[in-house]
Amino acid sequence: MVNRFRESWQKFGIFGIFILIVAALGILSPEYFLTTNNLTQVVLQSAITILIACGEFFTILIAGIDLSVGSVIALTGVITGKLLVSGTPVVLAILIGGILVGGLLGAVNGILVNKTGLHPFIITLGTMSIYRGITLIISDAKPIFGFPQSFKEGVAGWIFHIPIPVIIALTVALILHFITTKTILGRNIYALGGNAQSAWFSGIDIKKHQLIVFIISGICAGIAGVVMTARLGAAEPLAGVGFETFAIASAIIGGTSFFGGKGTIIGVVMGGLIIGVINNGLNILNVSTYYQQIVMGSLIIAAVTLDKLFSAKK
Amino acid sequence: MKPLVEMRNITKKFSGVTALENINFDILSGEVHILLGENGAGKSTLMKILSGIYEPTEGSIILSGREYSKLTPADSAENKISIIYQELSLIDELSIAENLFVGKLPTKKVMGIPVVDFAHIHEKTAELLKRVGLNRSPSTLVGELPISEKQQVEIAKALASDAKVIIMDEPTSSLTTEEVNKLFAIIRQLKKEGVGIVYISHKMKELAEIGDRVTVLKDGKHVGTKPLKDVTTDQLVSMMVGRELNAKNLNPHRAETNEVIFEVQHLTRKDRAVQDVSFKLYRGEILGFAGLIGSGRTELMNAIFGAAELESGDMTLFGEKVIIKSPHDAVKKGLAFITENRRETGFFHNFEIWKNISISSLVRKSKWGGIWGFVNKQAEQQQAEEQKKVLRIKCSSILQNITELSGGNQQKVIIGKWLAAQARLMIFDEPTRGIDVGAKSEIYAIMRKLANEGKGILMVSSELPELLAVCDRIIVFKDGRLRATFTNEEATEEKIMLAATSDM
Repeated sequence: MVNRFRESWQKFGIFGIFILIVAALGILSPEYFLTTNNLTQVVLQSAITILIACGEFFTILIAGIDLSVGSVIALTGVITGKLLVSGTPVVLAILIGGILVGGLLGAVNGILVNKTGLHPFIITLGTMSIYRGITLIISDAKPIFGFPQSFKEGVAGWIFHIPIPVIIALTVALILHFITTKTILGRNIYALGGNAQSAWFSGIDIKKHQLIVFIISGICAGIAGVVMTARLGAAEPLAGVGFETFAIASAIIGGTSFFGGKGTIIGVVMGGLIIGVINNGLNILNVSTYYQQIVMGSLIIAAVTLDKLFSAKK
Repeated sequence: MKPLVEMRNITKKFSGVTALENINFDILSGEVHILLGENGAGKSTLMKILSGIYEPTEGSIILSGREYSKLTPADSAENKISIIYQELSLIDELSIAENLFVGKLPTKKVMGIPVVDFAHIHEKTAELLKRVGLNRSPSTLVGELPISEKQQVEIAKALASDAKVIIMDEPTSSLTTEEVNKLFAIIRQLKKEGVGIVYISHKMKELAEIGDRVTVLKDGKHVGTKPLKDVTTDQLVSMMVGRELNAKNLNPHRAETNEVIFEVQHLTRKDRAVQDVSFKLYRGEILGFAGLIGSGRTELMNAIFGAAELESGDMTLFGEKVIIKSPHDAVKKGLAFITENRRETGFFHNFEIWKNISISSLVRKSKWGGIWGFVNKQAEQQQAEEQKKVLRIKCSSILQNITELSGGNQQKVIIGKWLAAQARLMIFDEPTRGIDVGAKSEIYAIMRKLANEGKGILMVSSELPELLAVCDRIIVFKDGRLRATFTNEEATEEKIMLAATSDM
C-alpha cells in the first residue's frame, strides 16, 4: 500500500502539484492568471529555464552538478552576437556561437572533471568565473546589439501563435527524453549515476560518458544563450547570472535525485514550469521579487526533503 | 568458577530470517574460547550482541551477576568487554598513545584550563606497549606501523580500557607465522592475568595451539562446546562444515580434454602487485585461486579484466590473442567479472532486476566505444525472465528493485547479467561472501554447469573448504606471485596454507 503510494507519487506527484498550484492561482486571480495570454507568457518565460535545466539534469543524474550554465549563456550569447554583427549568416552564427561554443565549454568542464578527478562542483565553480571573465573581456563589458531582423524573428518570433523559444525548448526536451529512455547512452548515464564503480566493472566507459554529459549541458546552455540574445535583442555580458539556481531547482523539484541515478526529463520540464508558474503567480499577486527568491529556496529544500523521505523508507 | 560472561538461549532474527537459534555461550576467566564456524554461521552476529551492536530477539546475557535482556555498547564497555575487529579500527593519523586513549583523554589543569595530559598518557602507553611486547615510542603515528603491529596496538587499546574479556575476530588473517607466534605469546600472558578471550578463526592448526574450549556454530545453530583436547581437527571440520563437505559431490574432475581456452603468459602489473604470472585454463575446469588477503589474487583478476594497468604480459582467449586495456574492452571480448563486493562494484541500487541484468549485454551490442545503440525494453525483460528461470532467482517479479532481494539472489542477478552478455570467460571473486549456505551450494552448482557448458571459470576464494570442494585445480598466490598449483586430488588445506604463508 505504502509502496504503491510511493510509486504513483514518483510518477504522477509532480503533475498533481502543478495542477494544485495552477488551480490555486486560478482561484486567487481568475481574471489575470487564467488567460491564454498570461499562460503563454508563463510558458515563454519558462523556456530558457527548461532549456538549461534539461542539460543540468544530466549532470545531476551522474551525481554531479554544473554551476557554469549561467556563464555559458552569457558567453555563447556574446559570441553569437559578435558573429551576427560581423555579418555571419544567421544560421551559421547560431550553430557556431550557440551550439558549437556551448558544446566546447561543456567539453572543457568534462575534460577538467575527468583529468583532475575533482567533484564537478569545484570544476564548474571555477569555470563559472572563468567563462564570465572571458565574456566580459571579449565584450568589453558592453552589450552587443544591432542584429538582423531575421535572427530575432527566427529565434524569438511566433509560429501559429506559439512562441518559437517554447518550440525550441520542447524540441530539445523531446530529443533528450528520447536519449534517456531509448538509447544505450541514456541507460549508461543512469547506471553511472547509480553506481559509478559498478558501471565501470560492467563495461561502461565512465570518462567518455561524463564528457558527453557535460557537453550536453553546455549545448543546452548555448541554445539558451542564443534564445535569450534573440529575445532581448542584445547580447548582455551579464546575462544568466544566478541561472544555475533555476536550473538546479527545476531538476530537483522535478524529482531528480541529488544522489544521482534517478529522475526524468518530463519531471524536469514540469519542475521548470512550476517555477515559472509560481514566479508569474507571485508577480500577479503583487508579491515582491525578493519574496520570490525565498519561495524558490524553500521549494528546493522541500523537494529534496521529500525525495529523501520517500527513498529512505525503502 | 563463575563465568565472566554467560549468554543464555540467544536467538536473533533479522526481518524474519533466523541468524541465531537458541545459542548458549560462556567465557571463563583465563581461557581462550574458540568460536568456530563457516562464514555466515552466526559468529559475528553473536559477538555483535555481546558488544551491544545488535539486540537479541530472545535470550539473556549475564554479566557480573546481573541479567540483561539486551546490551548497549555502554553496558558492554562498562563490563570491560573489548572487541578487536578483523578490519582494525585504529585512526592512522593519530599517535599510538592518542589511539589508546581516544575518547577518554585524561586532562590536567593549566591555569584553570583543562589540557590533555600527554606526559601521563605517554607513560601509561609505554607500560601497555611493554605488556604486548611492542617496541615503539608512544608518539609514533599508527599509520606508519605494519599491520601486525597495529594489531598489537589494538590489543594494547583493549588493555588500556582494562578489558576482562577480549574478542578477537580472525586476528591472524593477515599475519606471518612469526607474527602469529608473537600474538600467541601475548594471548598466553593475558590468560595468566585472568583475561577471558574469545578467538574467532578458521585456521584449524592454530586453534589447537592456543585454544582451551571450542564452540562450533553452523547455520546459526549451536553444534557443540567441547574442551579442545577432546576433539580432533577432523571432528571439528565435520561439526563445522558437515553440509559443506557434501559440496564434494559437485565432483571436481580434472578436465578430460586438453583444450586450453584461456592462457595468461608472464603477466606483470605496472604497480607490481602481480608479477610474472602464467597459467592455463582448460575446457570444463574451474580454476581456483588461493592465498592470503593482499597476496595478489584479486589484483590479478583486475589486471585480466583491464581494471589495472599492465607492464607486460599476453593473454589468449579461445585461441585468439586479446589486448584488454579497460573493463569495456574486457566486456566486448566476452569476459565477465563477478567482483568481491557486489554492493560497491556489482549492482545498481537504482535499477530494477531486469535493468541490472541487461546492462552489460547492452554494452556488448553498443557501438562507438559503448555509446551508440538503442535499448529494447521488451527484449531486455524477456532476457531477464530467462535468467530468472535458468538461475532460479527468487523474486516476485523482475520489475522489483534489486535491493529487495537477498544477498544470494542479488549475486544470481549479477551472474545473470554476465550470462545475458554471453560471457565466455567468467571470473568469480569471493562469489559466496555474505550468502547463506543454501544459496552457496546453488552458486557452486551454477559454476559447475557453466564450466561443463564450455565457459572458462576462474574463482578466487578465501574459504579453503569452498575452493577444495569446487575447483579442479587450485593456484596459490603469495606476494603477487604464483607459488604453487595443486590438482583437486593433491590439494589439502594444510598444503595450501603452507604455500600461501611460508617463504619456501
